[in-house]
Amino acid sequence: MSKESASTPAAAPTKPLLSRFLAATEIDTRMLGMVAALFAIWCAFDIYSGFLRPNTGLFGGAFLTPRNLWTLLVQTSSIAVMTTGMVLVIVMRHIDLSVGSMLSLVAVAGAVLQVFILGPAIGVGHPAIWIAAVAACLVLGTLIGAMNGFLTAYAQIPAFIVTLGGLIAYSGVAFLLASGVTIAPMDKTYKIIGGGVPESWLGPTWSWALAFVACALIILAVANGRRQRKRFGFQMRPVWAEAVLATIGSAAVLGTTAVLTSYPWPFGLIRQYAADNDVTIPEGVENVNGDAICMAADRIVRCTEGLIYYTGYAAPVLVALAVGAAMSFIATRTKFGRYVYAIGGNPEAAELAGINTKMMTVKVFALMGFLVGVSSIIASARLDAATNALGQLNELFVIASAVIGGTSLAGGIGTIYGALLGALMMQSIQSGMALLNLPAAFQNIVVGTVLVFAVFVDQLYRRRVK
Amino acid sequence: MKKFATAILAGVAMTMALSTVAEAAGKTIAVSWKTFQEERWKTDEAAIKAAVEAAGDSYISTDAQGSAQKQAADIEGLISQRPDVILVVAFDSDAILPSIKAISDAGIKSIAYDVQFEDPNALYITFDNIGVGRIMAEEILKVQPEGNYAFIKGDKGDPNATFLFQGMMEVLKPSLDSGKIKNVCETFTDGWKPDNAQRNMEQCLTSTDNKVDAVLSENDGMASGVVAALEAQGLAGTVPVTGQDGDKAAINRVALGTQTVSVWKNSTDLGKVAAEAAIALANGDDVSSIKGVAKFSGGKNGVEMDSILLAPTPITKDNIDVAIEAGHITKEEACAGVKAGSVPACG
Repeated sequence: MSKESASTPAAAPTKPLLSRFLAATEIDTRMLGMVAALFAIWCAFDIYSGFLRPNTGLFGGAFLTPRNLWTLLVQTSSIAVMTTGMVLVIVMRHIDLSVGSMLSLVAVAGAVLQVFILGPAIGVGHPAIWIAAVAACLVLGTLIGAMNGFLTAYAQIPAFIVTLGGLIAYSGVAFLLASGVTIAPMDKTYKIIGGGVPESWLGPTWSWALAFVACALIILAVANGRRQRKRFGFQMRPVWAEAVLATIGSAAVLGTTAVLTSYPWPFGLIRQYAADNDVTIPEGVENVNGDAICMAADRIVRCTEGLIYYTGYAAPVLVALAVGAAMSFIATRTKFGRYVYAIGGNPEAAELAGINTKMMTVKVFALMGFLVGVSSIIASARLDAATNALGQLNELFVIASAVIGGTSLAGGIGTIYGALLGALMMQSIQSGMALLNLPAAFQNIVVGTVLVFAVFVDQLYRRRVK
Repeated sequence: MKKFATAILAGVAMTMALSTVAEAAGKTIAVSWKTFQEERWKTDEAAIKAAVEAAGDSYISTDAQGSAQKQAADIEGLISQRPDVILVVAFDSDAILPSIKAISDAGIKSIAYDVQFEDPNALYITFDNIGVGRIMAEEILKVQPEGNYAFIKGDKGDPNATFLFQGMMEVLKPSLDSGKIKNVCETFTDGWKPDNAQRNMEQCLTSTDNKVDAVLSENDGMASGVVAALEAQGLAGTVPVTGQDGDKAAINRVALGTQTVSVWKNSTDLGKVAAEAAIALANGDDVSSIKGVAKFSGGKNGVEMDSILLAPTPITKDNIDVAIEAGHITKEEACAGVKAGSVPACG
């Protein structure tokens, strides 16, 4: 295969090993840097929290424990979902400042529907309630997003102004809808989407099953990518590089699953579950290997028989992962995605090439609205309540996550996985500082500084690459 | 500008018409509201109006719509109607002072309703805010006299967050000093937002390995986040949680047992007390003869003024009926999902 050898540039042997490795595997060095920074932040938090209060984390702290990492992922879900949509909006050279207020409005509307309207009408807990509430949130979000897009594209009002107006107006509507009161509690089934109840945890068996399916898909994707390149006569990666990619991807999936499935149910929930189901909790035996856990005094220990309860993937995390995968697919593998990037790169050229840029703007904003709908469900289900304060200022974190993740405000550039990593990084910083009990003012200073610094480093990197 | 002048003229004409009616009906009590954007002020207004009209006097009011400027103009308008007493809910407690002076100069009595402005001639009527923190601490001490306490405070920029904490500390100090109580987490919550409170509580539970025995949340909204975090750890209902505002959702949590107390400031009570004080003043009674009046100088500039500080009502499992009977919440709302026989008011 002459084409395969062509993938290694002629000058390659003189280059250092690392850059040859990166060139062969085509790994995004920018992403590599982000992952490294994320790990550095995690380790720092773990070490620091260990000083304050020793725990079972990797470095003796409370941050790198299964429990905290599990919580971190749940906390990130709502922002992460919106961030994937924001990437496309920003890539198209627009911005959506209204997502936070829109989330309040949609969440309050969904809560009013299930608690004030459907609850009394067809009986609290009726299975139709959660379905109606979910559908209403998604439809309402999509409609509001489409309206934003319509005003931007057809009324030719800059997106900044349209959504700034939305930022102010939607929170007002959210207030009026429920005259400012907190609406709670949510429907029992609806709550499962929030990840706060045992029903929303996949458990070890299904988590591992899912992980293996994901690994198989990764390997299939790598193989398929290779076949496609061959078919169209593109440059190909060496076989070893393909293997490395498949291995890294699978290892990431399996590692995450291993961490999440080693977080046992909280003590209180096991006790509740045992009481509800008439199960007697066996005496705890420590230091015995087995696949079950029991309780000894106030701790959970492993024992050979008894109740097996590990959490595994939580529902909101699964939703966020599914949205991330779907959005990645849309952005990189569909005509729609290609149009978005084409318009972002050069709107005039895209229009001249026959893309209906106006309709695309409406569609992208509608997609953003749909994702806000998804996030509003996660956020209100997780809080088990909806108020007009829910989601306020989320737009800042969503935009910051996208930008930290490498989305260029000049348009045309941005990846979904980068934005997801950005969201995880922002949430890590916030949660880590809350774990250290640092004052909120200090948290704001650090988050703001990290945002500016991340973009600064990104600029340096881009200039060097050029 | 011309339009504005016409509007004022129209206003004056209307007020003249009104004042003739007013004189015929006895005394006139006026209220300058700062806004009706928040739900609660409508409750206050209903209570004041009812008490004033029951006494055979008449009620007039203006709404400043959240603007200090409009409120100054409103008060000028009210003065020209020559009421006997003007109650003011100040939008800005400093900017209002010239208007208050104008009220005194016109020989009209003024009452600072709920929001303090520091004018020695005015009567200040409100709920005892430091007392709210004190009540929260007392209620939680009753059920959990020792152990690890977590404090979920409000927004750092709001002086009320600190007042509340001061009140808590007054009560808890002896136990903290003796080591019976340990402060394991203490965080401000940006914007008093429930989702921030939830995250702070989750991280608090992670850092202490769930060794939290009581949570003092400074309001009901944040308590909803705290309870959600506790619930995910199977601790809801076993760890006592405080709150204030008498949110309907919070009263329901109190009935369900996941929140221990919601300190409720009954606006109807406040309105009634204020209206009665206003009527007494209108009838020419001396301020010191009104029930509950004491000197207060705890404001920003320490100006001493006559004041009535109402004690808020702690709503616990045992007295939910108080809120139901006051019409603040229906029995169905308060008792939704409550097991029969577990709460007296729910039956």
